[in-house]
Amino acid sequence: MRMFATIAKLLVMRVLTAIPILFVVSMLLFGILRILPVDPAAMSLPPNATTQEVEAMRSEMGLNRPIYEQFGIWLGKLLEGDIGRSIHFRQDVTSLIGSTLPATIELALLAMMVGTVLGIAGGLFLFYVRGTRAEAVMDFVSILLLSLPEFLWSLFLLLIFGVFFEVLPFTGRLSPGFERPVVTGFLLFDSLITGNIATLLNAMQHMILPSLALGIALSPALMRVLRSSLLDAYQDDYIHQARLRGLSEKRLLVRHGLKNAILPTLSLMGVQFGFLFGGTLLVEIIYSYPGMGNLMVDAIRNADLPIIQGAGLTYCVAVLVISIVVDSLYLILNPKLRVR
Amino acid sequence: MAYPILSARGLCVESLGGKESFPVLTDLNFSLEPGKILGLVGESGAGKSMIGRTISQFLPHGFAVTKGTLQFGGEDLVGMPAERRRALLGRDIAFIPQEPLSGLDPVLSVGQQMKEHLHRIGLAPGESWRDRALKEFEAVHLPHGAALLEKFPHQLSGGMCQRILIAMAFASRPRLLIADEPTTALDVTIQARIVKLIGEMQKRDGTAVIFITHDLRLASQISDEIMVLYAGRPAEYGPAKQLFSAPAHPYTRCLQLANPTISGPRRGLFILPERMPGLRVLKELKGCRFASRCPNAIEACTQAEPPLLPIGPDHIAACIRVEKTPEIVPPPFAPGRAATSAKAHLTAEKLTKTYTTAWSPFGKRSSFKAVNNVNLTLDEGEFVGIVGESGSGKSSLARLVVGLDNPTAGRITLDGRDVTANGQAERAFRRDYIQMVFQDPQSALNPRRRIGSIVTQANEATGLHNSQRERADRAAELLKEIGLPADAALRFPSQLSGGQKQRVNIARALCTLPKILVADEIVSGLDVSVQAQLLDLLLKLRDEHGFSMLFISHDLSVVRYLCDRVMVMYRGEVVESGRTQTVFADPQHPYTKSLLTAVPPDDINLQWSPVAAEAGYQVE
Repeated sequence: MRMFATIAKLLVMRVLTAIPILFVVSMLLFGILRILPVDPAAMSLPPNATTQEVEAMRSEMGLNRPIYEQFGIWLGKLLEGDIGRSIHFRQDVTSLIGSTLPATIELALLAMMVGTVLGIAGGLFLFYVRGTRAEAVMDFVSILLLSLPEFLWSLFLLLIFGVFFEVLPFTGRLSPGFERPVVTGFLLFDSLITGNIATLLNAMQHMILPSLALGIALSPALMRVLRSSLLDAYQDDYIHQARLRGLSEKRLLVRHGLKNAILPTLSLMGVQFGFLFGGTLLVEIIYSYPGMGNLMVDAIRNADLPIIQGAGLTYCVAVLVISIVVDSLYLILNPKLRVR
Repeated sequence: MAYPILSARGLCVESLGGKESFPVLTDLNFSLEPGKILGLVGESGAGKSMIGRTISQFLPHGFAVTKGTLQFGGEDLVGMPAERRRALLGRDIAFIPQEPLSGLDPVLSVGQQMKEHLHRIGLAPGESWRDRALKEFEAVHLPHGAALLEKFPHQLSGGMCQRILIAMAFASRPRLLIADEPTTALDVTIQARIVKLIGEMQKRDGTAVIFITHDLRLASQISDEIMVLYAGRPAEYGPAKQLFSAPAHPYTRCLQLANPTISGPRRGLFILPERMPGLRVLKELKGCRFASRCPNAIEACTQAEPPLLPIGPDHIAACIRVEKTPEIVPPPFAPGRAATSAKAHLTAEKLTKTYTTAWSPFGKRSSFKAVNNVNLTLDEGEFVGIVGESGSGKSSLARLVVGLDNPTAGRITLDGRDVTANGQAERAFRRDYIQMVFQDPQSALNPRRRIGSIVTQANEATGLHNSQRERADRAAELLKEIGLPADAALRFPSQLSGGQKQRVNIARALCTLPKILVADEIVSGLDVSVQAQLLDLLLKLRDEHGFSMLFISHDLSVVRYLCDRVMVMYRGEVVESGRTQTVFADPQHPYTKSLLTAVPPDDINLQWSPVAAEAGYQVE
């Protein structure tokens, strides 16, 4: 029970520190995007609008007020859940993000799972073959994997499984003709709870390639950290002592080695998963996956400031949430931080 | 005569991996009966721990038994299938490690680890692991067993971890226990209690014990038989009392005389020259392995390896001149010039250091006094020892004196000048006046710097004499003073032995000829032979340069040998202080008494009965 109390304390602390972080980020987002040489008023009018019309639009949008006042208004609306309207799509940013974010979250979660499974399995294998010739080969392979970015993996996988073998779909979230249940916006989840198995299977097929591309890119760093943490743990006395108590090598690895070696690996995962949201951007474009990444790229192309601001804040929240989750996990797994 | 539980016949272990093979253990013969304790003694690298590893057959990569047999209860330990051996480990053969704090898995609670072990060795029908664990804890006198099950290793002291590991080891009523330096990492008072506990448990179960230690005095107090190992080969093997009171092999005698005494008049230390030959050169050695360091060696000793000859009943020694061994005597005690004047170099008045926990929005900040109201003076040329257990505030006091930490209250003066403020001017003054030698040379010396640059590091701070030429000259002088060859200046710390590194560590502190050295546990963890060399080096250097020293140690016999005065610290306070001889001969404070009785006596015929200090004076 003490564990929950400690984690509750951590959560309270982290949420409290998240508030100033979010404030600073929103300030930066607002400030930087206002400095950019684009005029939102001019952009929301037809190209043949007169200067008077632009001026009228500027005062209507509040752009002629001092910048801190503009920030105050923007922040006030933000707290009400209103990030503004997209200039390009003529739609509320909140609803745009609401319709694309679930797709990205699903993709990112799946990629994390793939990356974690591959990373841990690969790390264990690297550790298992330590001191043999296979180690040198595996070392080479893992460095090769490490040096390939996720968009290259996306292209490789797309060409091999999508174009050459034609076994997996590689555009969008769903093939045409499938019914799309909407409950929460999370396609896998929605099709599961509505019992729409055909949609579920098709959606999963669509996600295999993009999540694999992201996951494979995540895994080599995890592999290498897990391997070296396991090597460190095996230098420690408690492993040798447990071995002298007659425990099997398997038990040593799973119960003693892995439980200790997972801690540094987990810290790395926290950092990597933070970057994952940025990584989805290119992968989403390559697979025409209708998520935040595609929305973001459209927004940047059209200098659609409200969307960029909204998406920026969303990324920031995502990173904070991930780091809080990872820290809680760390606390659960590491008694040294939990109890004094 | 009982049937032996463990017997070795002509056991040889060799390293076969790599380009060349070399012997690790040579021709080992012993037999251990149930309920007996065999002490294994020798310097580091003598092969003591390798015997434990041979029994478990978890040998380093490339090592293997090449000759001879090792039998456990009539079974061949070396030839048996790995599964059968694993079944014996933890049940019939138990181990107690050297480092109790790292012997337990840091991420599992004590209860989880007890449960795992008890389930493996099997529980009686209807018995819960919890009840059994509590029973085992009670047997090793661990209080609050139920609460202990919830704890994690980092919340416990080294002594408590060692008790838990002992409880685990004896839970299966093993027939053989291997204790590898089980008390080296612990405080003296706890060491005594742990050794007693192992003896008590061993008698309860009739367990045979192999007790590995570098401390001959400790081994002779608790063992029935002792085997002294030298470079992987037995030098002497016999009944403990006989071996200790009349050592036959010169090596045993030298080890004994290298260790300072705890009672009676102070005697000089026998300095064993050089080091044990490395295992790689043994193959080329024709004669006795000890000949190069032996004071009694003659031409014949270097011709052929001496056989193990009988000396008395069950007592053998590998020496062809045993009759000459008693002629090895220690040099007379020569402390050199001690305090030359009563002029105080260093005074500290009412020194207090309070540590407070970091701020947190939850819960109040707590604080504790690491150093409490300590008064201290250090005269010119004087060596003052500070003794006490871990957590007594010894090291905190040292940090205050050298200025690594600022006191919460009190005043420090150096040569009449108040340096309490520890500002820039005071620090510059302090740097020239006082230097610190750190405990662990392994981590105190920058591994990427050459020795010559390390020992003259102090010149970088002042900028004086900092040219290449001047530094090289000074390094050569310093290395000569500490007894290292001149070419050591170009080496890296990793190329030196532990003892050599500690010499370098001392030389670095001496570079700018400070008036005061502060030495924190600088001989702990070293072999007695190396320890003796360093202690005499300190005395010699004092004679030449006349510095004074604060010498922090948990080893009372070392302090008795080296220091003019002693201060006994307990929980941040000085509970007793005075002339070393007086305090040790007639201790007044109960805590001092308990510290002194915790040291095994010099005389094997004296009963070693560590007195637990009065209530309120127990750490742990």
